Amino acid sequence: MKFKRNLLACLSLLILGGVLSAAGQEQAKVADSSVSSPGAETAPATASGSSKAIQKSSFSRFEGEKRYRANCGRCHMAPHKFPPRMMATIERHMRVRATITDEDVQFILRYMTE
Amino acid sequence: MGPLIAPVLLVPIGDRWLIESRATFEADMTQQPGSSSFRGQVLKSIDYLQVDYIANPYVTVSVGRFLTPFGIFNERLYPIWIRNLQTDPLILPIGTGPSQASTGAMLRGGFRATSKFNINYAAYFSALSTVTLSNVTPLNSDRLAGARVGIFIPNARLEIGGSFEHLLQDERSNSFGFHGGWQPPALPLEFRGEYQRSARGSGYWFEPSYRLSQVPFWQYAMRRTQLVARMQQYFVGRLPSDSLPPVNTRQFEFGVNYYFRDGLRAVSSYGRQFSELGNKNIWTVGLTYRFAFPLGHGGDN
Repeated sequence: MKFKRNLLACLSLLILGGVLSAAGQEQAKVADSSVSSPGAETAPATASGSSKAIQKSSFSRFEGEKRYRANCGRCHMAPHKFPPRMMATIERHMRVRATITDEDVQFILRYMTE
Repeated sequence: MGPLIAPVLLVPIGDRWLIESRATFEADMTQQPGSSSFRGQVLKSIDYLQVDYIANPYVTVSVGRFLTPFGIFNERLYPIWIRNLQTDPLILPIGTGPSQASTGAMLRGGFRATSKFNINYAAYFSALSTVTLSNVTPLNSDRLAGARVGIFIPNARLEIGGSFEHLLQDERSNSFGFHGGWQPPALPLEFRGEYQRSARGSGYWFEPSYRLSQVPFWQYAMRRTQLVARMQQYFVGRLPSDSLPPVNTRQFEFGVNYYFRDGLRAVSSYGRQFSELGNKNIWTVGLTYRFAFPLGHGGDN
């Protein structure tokens, strides 16, 4: 009985520790969110601005493909693209089913709907 | 001949809610004596029907009837259009039970723990259910609680994890298991496997698969061809089980799959099962086809 309690306590602590660890990195992720947020494509119309926008777009595409291959490619073939609204629903389903991270979902969704 | 249809229904509501369900219609058709027609009973089941609420980037709450997240096969690899071999692993009922589903609530999620790896988890409670819609549509589940934790290293494409479950009825026993999957980034190769142990039995399965995309000839056909094998062994536990083999069993399978395109593939495999009840061959040949379409205005925006 004591063993069971200890095991359950360890599992709970492991989950809690992971959540806290990730929460601690929230600030760092917020700094990167300008890349992954859907509004990032509205870059300024200046020359340097459009150059940055292209860089961000390339980075976003590269990351999206990389994360698609790492997460989705474990079970699925090369991407089959659906209309954006369908893709968003499928992504939400896979986020729950395959416990994909929020950040990965954002990159993959953008990659799959480009 | 066993045609099987497994429709998945997804209904998103707002930005955070999702209703999802999967049903299975499976027929075991046999040819009638003196006739060319095939007849058989259609088995129907609701594999899961759950409501998901994405509370924040770390936690999703699910309630309803859900696939028991014990190990990885039941939740992630079970659909016929995903699995490499069409037969179930012998140890699948360990932890998931005969219906492979639970009725209750679940917390789950995945998040980036460090720049090197992600953590994913699921913790669940299931109530006892003896509901049966008809003699071929059971909705039963056991009273139990459990959790699964996994670590995924994206750069190495390696995932390892473990599951624990405590049965809150009958013999109140524990089950535990370990799972792993690895896709070496440089090769079209994949390894998957699980080990599970409970009072009703224990065992493992190990499944390597290889896409022939690096073979230098007949490249059009080769890159669509996949070779797969599965080794597995099951050991009887101290308690009896209706859904697990009654004796120690070993099984080896080898298969060839051909992907015509995403969603459509031909599957074939040969296996040999060894047990005290007698050895036997297991053949499968089939086609799997997955398609998706919007029920409402699920179109362009």
